[in-house]
Amino acid sequence: MAKQPEAFLPLSQATYYILLSLREVRHGYGIMQDVEEVSKGEVNLGPGTLYGALSKLEKQAVIQKIYVQEDERRKYYELTKLGKKVLQLEYNRLKSVVENSGELIKEMEEK
Amino acid sequence: MTVKKFKLWLAPNISKEEEWLTEMSQKGLHLTKYRFFTYHFEEDPTKSYTYQIDFRQGAKYDYFQLYKDAGWDHITEVIGVFHYFRTESTNSEVKKIYSDNQSIQDSYIRMRGFYLLIFILFLVSQIGALTSWSGWPRYIVIGVDVAVIVIYLHLFYVFNKRINFYRKL
Repeated sequence: MAKQPEAFLPLSQATYYILLSLREVRHGYGIMQDVEEVSKGEVNLGPGTLYGALSKLEKQAVIQKIYVQEDERRKYYELTKLGKKVLQLEYNRLKSVVENSGELIKEMEEK
Repeated sequence: MTVKKFKLWLAPNISKEEEWLTEMSQKGLHLTKYRFFTYHFEEDPTKSYTYQIDFRQGAKYDYFQLYKDAGWDHITEVIGVFHYFRTESTNSEVKKIYSDNQSIQDSYIRMRGFYLLIFILFLVSQIGALTSWSGWPRYIVIGVDVAVIVIYLHLFYVFNKRINFYRKL
C-alpha cells in the first residue's frame, strides 16, 4: 500500500524546496536554480545530493518523470497527486508552527 | 605530454584521492584517465582544476547531463561505478557534488553495499577453489584467501567509521 501523505512529514528544508520547485515541470539543473532563487540562497544543492533526492522521491511516488521530446538528454519531473498533497500538508504544518509560536517568540525578544 | 603515476587507494578514502588529484592539478598535472591503478595526467601549467569522485551504479545520460549542467565535467570512470569529475578551480560558483552530510553518508552506504556483494561473490568462488585443490596448493589458496579477507575486513572497518562519522554530525 502506498504511504499516506502525512507519513512524509516533516520534510527537510531541501526536500521542501525541491517539491516547491516542481510547481512547474523542470529538469535537474532547473530545480537547482529554482531552489537557490526561491530560498534566497539559503539552500544550495549539489548535483549529487539532488540526484539522490530525486531518485528517492521518485521511488516514493512523490514525483514522477515526464518525457520531453525536445530534450532527450535530461530527465524532467513533476509532482504526483501524492506529492502535491505532501507539499500542501508541510506548508500548513510550517505555517501553524510559525503562527502558534510567533507571539511567544516576540514576547521573549522583548524581555 | 602525458605523465603516469601508479597509486593505490582504499575505496573509502575517496576524499583524500580528490585532494591529491586537485593538488596535482595545481602543479599543472591534470587527470585524464585512470586504468589499472595508474593515473594518466596531461601537463598544462596554465590550468587548475578541482576534482571530485562520485560513486554511482547504473549512471545514465541524465546523471552526466545534470553534473555537466552544474559545472562538473566527467573525465573518466573506474569499473563503471567511480566517476571522476572536474571543474575549473577559479569557478567559485560551482557547488560541491554533495551539499549535505546525509547524502555523503548515503554514498558511503552505497559503496559499502557494492563491496559487500563483491566480497560475498569472492567467498563463494573460493569454496570451489578450496575443494578442487589438495596438498600444498591448497595451503597457497588458503594463504591468499586469508590475506584478501583481512584486506576486506579492514575495508569494511573504514567504511563503518566514515558512515558513523557522518551519522553523528
